[in-house]
Amino acid sequence: MLRPIRALGAFALWFARWVGALALVAGRTLLNLGRLDRKETFRSLVLFGWESLPISFGVATLIGATVVMQAGVYADKYGARQYTGWAAGYALMWEFGPLLLGMVMAARIGARNAAELALLTINGQIEGLRGISLDPFRILVAPRVVASAISVLSLTSVTFVIAILWEAIASYFTLELPVRVFFSAFEDMLRWSDFAGGLAKSLAYGVAISLVSTSAGLRAEGGARGVGRAAAAAVVASCAAIFFLDELLTGPLERLFS
Amino acid sequence: MNRLLLIVGAPLVLFARTVRGVRREGLSGREVLVQLSELGSASTVLVATGLSFFGAVMVTIAWLEARKYTGNITVVGPAYFQLLLREMAPLIVAVLVASRAGAAMSAELASMSVNEQLDALELSAADPLAELVAPRLLASLIAVPALTIVGTAAAALSAAGTVTFSLGADGRSFLDPHFVQAGDILCSAVKGLLSGAFIPLSACWRGLRAKGGAAAVGEAVTVGVVDAIVGCLIIDFVVALAFLLVGL
Repeated sequence: MLRPIRALGAFALWFARWVGALALVAGRTLLNLGRLDRKETFRSLVLFGWESLPISFGVATLIGATVVMQAGVYADKYGARQYTGWAAGYALMWEFGPLLLGMVMAARIGARNAAELALLTINGQIEGLRGISLDPFRILVAPRVVASAISVLSLTSVTFVIAILWEAIASYFTLELPVRVFFSAFEDMLRWSDFAGGLAKSLAYGVAISLVSTSAGLRAEGGARGVGRAAAAAVVASCAAIFFLDELLTGPLERLFS
Repeated sequence: MNRLLLIVGAPLVLFARTVRGVRREGLSGREVLVQLSELGSASTVLVATGLSFFGAVMVTIAWLEARKYTGNITVVGPAYFQLLLREMAPLIVAVLVASRAGAAMSAELASMSVNEQLDALELSAADPLAELVAPRLLASLIAVPALTIVGTAAAALSAAGTVTFSLGADGRSFLDPHFVQAGDILCSAVKGLLSGAFIPLSACWRGLRAKGGAAAVGEAVTVGVVDAIVGCLIIDFVVALAFLLVGL
């Protein structure tokens, strides 16, 4: 009898804790934006952005080739081969590029960030920073949030370019569509605002990944098991946040950019 | 290149060893059920919500662009359903399960390995592969295809609902299966089975290898999840290419 109510209450508490943690991290990052620790920001940029370049090249290749293979079958069926460039580019920039790269980055950046912060929390190093009156949010958290947002944004733009090149190559080989035709459909039917829409989405994903993984890391407790649990929770919550933001942002962004 | 070989090769080796371990020691049915319930209870909600958001977004995007050229969204319904069943749902479900279950599995095994519980198992003459990896492998082989069905249904229903209620057209064509052929279902099933085998193998392999302290656990989770997701993308690409070449 009481079980559903108890479950509801537990869910509400869990939800309130997550929202509160996210709001705290976001607020304190905003407060510290003006005085970021430059060295730590640079280190996080290298860790999150530069070291993720190879994997985003790989992901871009797979997304580009897969999207063309999917779209090509229908392009042939409906006799609309010359529009492949448009369809593949549109699907890539509005949905597949940001979504798939976002999930890979949720795993890579989110898990790494959460694991590092969880380790610091569990070893009491965060407390130690507070003890010598240094603000951990200024030194550790704000640089990571900023670096992760910048990293996801720039990796997405690189991914778009590479995936589009692979789409052109793939449609040449699977549909025998000349590269010139692919790019002319691309140029005629797509606008820069489509590119901007995809980038805006990925910026939102980047911010979400960093906020979620930071709060998961800072809330870790309980030794080696806690580090693993925090990293796993960060990945799952980031993926859920990405799907939620996808649903939330698509309509408004499309209205804004067209 | 080295990393790529590792992503594909290590799970294969682990698979062979696990099968050998199971043939020697047998498989605990109870443990498989435990893992199955863990996987199912953890991933079903994530997969169902994620895929229903995905279905709604895809249909909204298609409508926003199609309205400029054709003005009628219902004609793309059957093709959308086929594409969803064959390509999109298996891929997104596999990536979601990889992030959820892959992270959990590598975290669990890595913390066991760091706390020397695996050595304790070996000392009591039990094979960690047969005891720990095999139940997860079998559970995931059952769960991922089942979750693919759940995800496909969620995405198709939410697409039809979005078209009917928010775009004001007839959404029933988005549930119309007359384009779907046996090859599409086979393609979806093959992807589900292959990713279902790959996710636990790559996550467990990274977990089992973790050595050191708490830092090693974090590292194992990070690398394990990324490997599982990239592996699912590769599997999706290879299977799609194979089906395209065969012409199914």
